[in-house]
Order: sequence, then structure tokens, then C-alpha cells
Amino acid sequence: MNAFFRKLQVSVTQQAFVFNGALALCRATPTIQHPVWTSVNERQYRSMPTNGIGRWRHLVVKVVQKKKRDKHQMKEIKSGSKTTYPTLNVKVTGYDMTLVEHYSNYIHNLCNRLHIKVSDSYALQTKTSEVMLTKEESSRMNIEVILKTHSRIIQLSSLDASICPVFMDVILKNQAEGVQLSVEKHNVDEYHARFKIRSELEGLKSKIGTRNR
Amino acid sequence: MAAPCRRMAGRSLSQFLSCFSRTSVGNTGFRQFSNTSVCRESRKTENVTESARSPWTVMAAVCLQRLPVITADCSPMEQQFGQMINQMELEKSVLTDHELRLQEEAERLRRLQAGEYDSDEEDNQMKQEIILAQDLEDLWEQKLKNFQPAQRVNADVDKDLTSAERCLADTLLLLAEQQVGGEKLWLLPQTQWQDGETLRQTAERALHSLPAADFKATFLGNAPCGVYKYKLPRAARTESSVGTKVFFFKAVLSDGAPPAAPDAPFLWLKKGELQGFLKPAYKTKVERFILGL
Repeated sequence: MNAFFRKLQVSVTQQAFVFNGALALCRATPTIQHPVWTSVNERQYRSMPTNGIGRWRHLVVKVVQKKKRDKHQMKEIKSGSKTTYPTLNVKVTGYDMTLVEHYSNYIHNLCNRLHIKVSDSYALQTKTSEVMLTKEESSRMNIEVILKTHSRIIQLSSLDASICPVFMDVILKNQAEGVQLSVEKHNVDEYHARFKIRSELEGLKSKIGTRNR
Repeated sequence: MAAPCRRMAGRSLSQFLSCFSRTSVGNTGFRQFSNTSVCRESRKTENVTESARSPWTVMAAVCLQRLPVITADCSPMEQQFGQMINQMELEKSVLTDHELRLQEEAERLRRLQAGEYDSDEEDNQMKQEIILAQDLEDLWEQKLKNFQPAQRVNADVDKDLTSAERCLADTLLLLAEQQVGGEKLWLLPQTQWQDGETLRQTAERALHSLPAADFKATFLGNAPCGVYKYKLPRAARTESSVGTKVFFFKAVLSDGAPPAAPDAPFLWLKKGELQGFLKPAYKTKVERFILGL
């Protein structure tokens, strides 16, 4: 058994020498003998130029999962400087929802085009108003017409004073019919007006206040 | 004899009066646009305490625009496309409550006339309705017939260049006839800048100091939208006055209908009509900032 292995080894080494000799004849320059790796999954040495060649996870942007319990944080209200206006709200209101939405989309796209930073774009609650007409001919009939006022707001964080007249001119000239436009300064009250009043919370808070006294 | 300057002939450095006038008698339903005092907050007064005075006279002019009141007519292609889109939406849409009611009642009437109805069931339902949907529709048709919309295009008013109600589908620009040097020229109302005020205040002053008219305008911003430089002809140049620079500010005519004086030297022109009234060099500078939308 051992003799068999020895013979095998001898023959292998003999073959190796023959092979090497052939190689030496073929190549003029001496070649670096790369060490043979037993498995493919072993990392190469850090000085190797191909170290970590297959890495890709570090290139993917890490998505921060939004927790459901996170409160809606108020975005910073910027105060203006000498050349920029403070945070402005461009409010589009009207009765026809398609017109209002299309017009607000148009303004948003125009801001993107003109490189005006849009910090927020949201919708306010739809207000429903009923119009009652009283007929005095035969009998008093109340005809009710239901009108819904939709409004969309686009919040501009920093509007340059130089682009302002151009921007205003363009949106005024392209104003859709039946749509009202207004540009106002943004403040904390307007932010809080978006939220519903939680009567139970208010009640509990007042109770805590009275209890502590 | 002063060499004729190609730009504006014989303009001197005397005070320019700006006149604005003309606001339509009837309210043409100016659209709602409100701008709070945001713009006024970021104004700052210019510091004019310079040791060396610039040889240019600084003036501010106001480019007052009357925005279109009605939408422009669609081009033939737009009309065709509009019709096609309406047809498609109609075919894809679902019936409304009113239309369903119409259908039910028509069906019920048909069954009534054919004599195959269940008297108990139908009678109950019929008694609940005082007015049929069809009757409502007839009422509405009647009301529509009584309503007379105003005319969109009035040919007589369109031809009158001094009226602010002409060409309701286009934007109009105000021009005033002002004394410039020895000549009366048509230009955007302007006035000279004074120490201690901002250029925008100068433009507002130009607007308010127009005789015979009280225009209520909203200025669109604190920054000028254009500039026109005029160098005096060589003979008239002195050390302290080389020429004038006019800065233009954009404004929009807001709700307001001051009475139009018949003799007021004002014109409301479309962009294409400026050719016949403004000097060429002045016109090229002005046209750059007037949007022809």
C-alpha cells in the first residue's frame, strides 16, 4: 500500500518536473506562482488589488423604516433674508376638483423647472357648503345645492426675490378659470389648523391640570 | 445740432411725469388674487451716501398689466381633441344618481301605461315623489333659457385702444404719453428716483402720480424685471449726466374700476400692437420681459 503511494508520488513529481520544464521553455519571464486556494469562498488578503471585488451591499441606500408611532413633525419655518422670502404658502382653491388639482400640479412642476425649492405640498380639508334657494311662487321649496370647496397648498421654502416676479407672472397668466390663487406667509397656526381637535385628549389634559392643583 | 441718436430723440433730464389712467367703468370681473404684505417686509432702503455720484439718472417705470378675463378660444386641433376626450370620458363613465332616477321613472311610467304594474308597490313609491326627475330637468332648462351670458367678444370695444375692457382673452399693457425732453412719447409710465426710497417705491409713485386715474395694482415683486439704458446725444452730455437708466417693475391690475377719463393719454395694448407706438430700441428691451402667454 505504502509502496503504491510512493510510486504514485514519484510519478506525480516526475510529471510535475516535466511540466515545469515545458513551461520554462515556453515562457521567457519567470511567472509568479499564485498560491492555489482550496475553496472559492475564502477572502483574499487585504493587500490584494481584487480584495472585496464582489461587494455590493455597501452601495445600496439604506431605507429607514418609518415607524407608525412617529408623530408628524412640523417642517422648519424659515424666516426670510435680504434676498429670499420666508416660507410661503401658495394656496389654490376652487369648486372643481380636477381644475384645482391640475393647476396645483402645474405650479409644482413649474417650481421644479425654475429650481424653486418646494418643501411641502398638501391638501386641506374639503369644505362643503349647502346653498338653499327658497321659491316663493307656489309653495316654499328649498332647493339645496351642495358646493364643495377644494384647496391645495404648495409650500415654497426659499423663493428668490429675483425669480419672484417672473414666477408670479407665469402662474397668474396661466390661471385656470374658476380657481382662486393666493400667496401667504406660513406660520405655526396654519400648521396646527390642519389637525383635528381631539376632544378626549383635551378633556383628559384639563383633568390632569385640575388634579395637580 | 445734436447728432440724432438712434434710440430716443431729444430726451432731456427734466422730470418725467407718468400718467396712468384708465380703468374700465364696468367691473369686468377681475379674478381673485390676494398677496399679503410678505413682499413689503423684505424691502430695504438703498444707501445712497456715495462720495462719487454716478452720472446716470435713475428712473423706475411700472409695467402694468391687465390679465385676461376669459379663456382664449381653442385652436381647431384643440377643439377636436377636446371633443374626443369628452366622448371617451362619457363612454367610460358611470350613471349618476339623477340619471338613474330618470331611468327608473321612465320605466315606471312605461309600465303604468302598459298596464302591467303592481298597484300596491308602485302606488307607494309614486306617492313619495312629488316632483319627477324629468320635471326637474325641465325646470332647469327653463332657468338656463332665462340666463343671458355676457358677450365674449365685443368688436366695438376691441377697436377702442383706450378701453381696458378690450380683448378680454389677452393680457393688455398700459402705455402713457409722457413728456420726454422736447417730445411727447408713448412709453411705460415712469418717474425719477429720489434719494432715500427704494426703486419699487419709485415705481409705485409713478403709478399713483398719473393724472386723472387711480389704478389699484399689485406689484409682483421687489426686484426689477428689466432695464433700459439711454445715452444722451454727445452734445447734450455733461460731466454729471451721461444718460438715464430706467428699471421696470411688473404689476398686475387688481380689482378696481376707476372711471376712465375720455381725454386721458393712456393706451391699453396687446404685445403685438406695441410695434406702432414704441421706439424700436425701447421696444426690444421691453418685449423681453412681457410674457406673451
